Amino acid sequence: MVDIKHHKTVQHQPNKSLLETIEVHNIEIQYHCREGYCGACRTKLLKGEVEYKTDPLAFIDDNEILPCCCFPLSSIEIEID
Amino acid sequence: MKYTTFNQINNNPLTEPMFFGNPVNVARYDQQKHQIFEKLIEKQISFFWRPEEVDVSKDRVDFQKLSDSEKHIFISNLKYQTLLDSIQGRSPNIAFLPIISIPELETWVETWSFFETIHSRSYTHILRNLFGDPSSIFNDIVENEEIKKRAADISKYYDDLIFATQLWQTLGEGVHTVKGVTHTITMRELKKKLYLCMNSVNALEAIRFYVSFACTFAFAERELMEGNSKIIRLIARDENLHLTSTQHVINLWAKGKDDPEMAEIAEECKEEATEIFLNAVEQEKEWAAFLFQHGSMIGLNKEILCQYVEFIANHRMSAIGLGQPFDVKSNPLPWMNNYLSSDNVQVAPQESEISSYLVGQIDSEVSADDFGDFDL
Repeated sequence: MVDIKHHKTVQHQPNKSLLETIEVHNIEIQYHCREGYCGACRTKLLKGEVEYKTDPLAFIDDNEILPCCCFPLSSIEIEID
Repeated sequence: MKYTTFNQINNNPLTEPMFFGNPVNVARYDQQKHQIFEKLIEKQISFFWRPEEVDVSKDRVDFQKLSDSEKHIFISNLKYQTLLDSIQGRSPNIAFLPIISIPELETWVETWSFFETIHSRSYTHILRNLFGDPSSIFNDIVENEEIKKRAADISKYYDDLIFATQLWQTLGEGVHTVKGVTHTITMRELKKKLYLCMNSVNALEAIRFYVSFACTFAFAERELMEGNSKIIRLIARDENLHLTSTQHVINLWAKGKDDPEMAEIAEECKEEATEIFLNAVEQEKEWAAFLFQHGSMIGLNKEILCQYVEFIANHRMSAIGLGQPFDVKSNPLPWMNNYLSSDNVQVAPQESEISSYLVGQIDSEVSADDFGDFDL
C-alpha cells in the first residue's frame, strides 16, 4: 500500500513504477524525464523502503525518493510537494 | 597558484576538493571521488545528437502562416536561447576548468560545454532554414536591449570569477593594483565568487530556458514548427542533465561532503543565492511581458507563463535548500511534461546509432493517400 500524505492511500500496481501508480490514481505529481536524471518528481519518503531498477542520477536527499524509477519494497508513506 | 596543464605532484585525486585543490594531472576514471560526475558523463554521451538529423524544412511553411506577434515570440525566443548557449558553450570551461581538482568533474564540465555547442549549432540550423540569410537575427542579439540586459546579468558572475582566478593564478593571494584598481584576492573570496557563480549557472539551467521552451511547445501543441520543437526537446533533455549536475555540486558543498569551507560559505551566502534565483525569476517574467507585447498566442499568455516560471522555480529552489517562495501549488501548463519526458524524445535505436544515412532523407510530407494500400 502507498499512503500519500494529504491525499489518500492507494494500492501499488505490480510492475509499475511508483510514479505510474500515483498517476493511475489521478494524483497530481510533477515529472519530466521519467528516467531518474532530472529530479522533477522528487518526493519525501516518510515510511517504508523502495528499490531502484536504474541508478537515480538526480540529486535526492537522504529522506527523498524518485518515484519515476523506484519500486516500493514494503508499504510506504510519502509526501508529494 | 600558477596553473599547470599537467601537475607533476603525485597527489591523490580522491582526497582533493572539487575546486581549488591541486590542478588535475592524470585523466583517470577507474576511481572517483564523486562518482556522480562519471555517471552524468555517461548519460550525457548516450544523449548525443546532431541538429542535422532533425528535418526542419516543414517549419519554413509553418513560419509564414504565423501572425506577426507570433513571429516576434518565436524569433525572440530563438535569439534568447542563442545567447544562453553562446555563454554556456564557453563559460563553464573558462571559469571552472582552471580551478577544478578532480578528473571526473573536469571531464563532466567539458562534456557539458560541448553539448551546449551542439545547441548553438542547432539554432543556426533552425534559422538557416527559415531565412536565406539569418545575419540580421544574429546581429540583433548584441543590439537588442532586452537580451543584452539578461546577458549582462548572467555573465557578470562568470566574469567576476574568471578575473579573480586570473589574478590569483598570476599574482597569488594579496592586494593587487591593476590599472589603478585595487583588488583583494583571498582564497575565501575566490570560493565565495565560485559559490555565487555556481548558483547563477544553476538558476540559468533551472528556469531561464523554460519560458522559451513553453512557447516552443505551445506552437507544437498546435502542430506548428514541429521540427523546431523536436530540436528543443533534445535541448531540454540535455539541460535537465546539466541542472542535475549543478544541483549536485551545490548540495555536495552545502552538506559538507566536499570542501568544509564551502559548507560555511553556502550558509553565509544563502541570502545572496536566493537573491540570484529570485532575480532570474523576475527577469524571466519580464521576458514573458516582452514576448507578448504585441499580443499573445493560442494556449499561452503572460499570466500563465509567469505562473509556470514560479511553479518551476519552487521545485528548483527546494532542490538546493532554498525553500518554495511562491504560492503556486499545481502545474499551470501540465502538457509541458509530455515534451520534457524522455520517452518522447528517443528515436529508434538504429537511428540513434547510425544517423548519417538518414540526413535529409526523411520525407516530412505525408498525406492520407500514402496509406491508400495499407490493410489491417
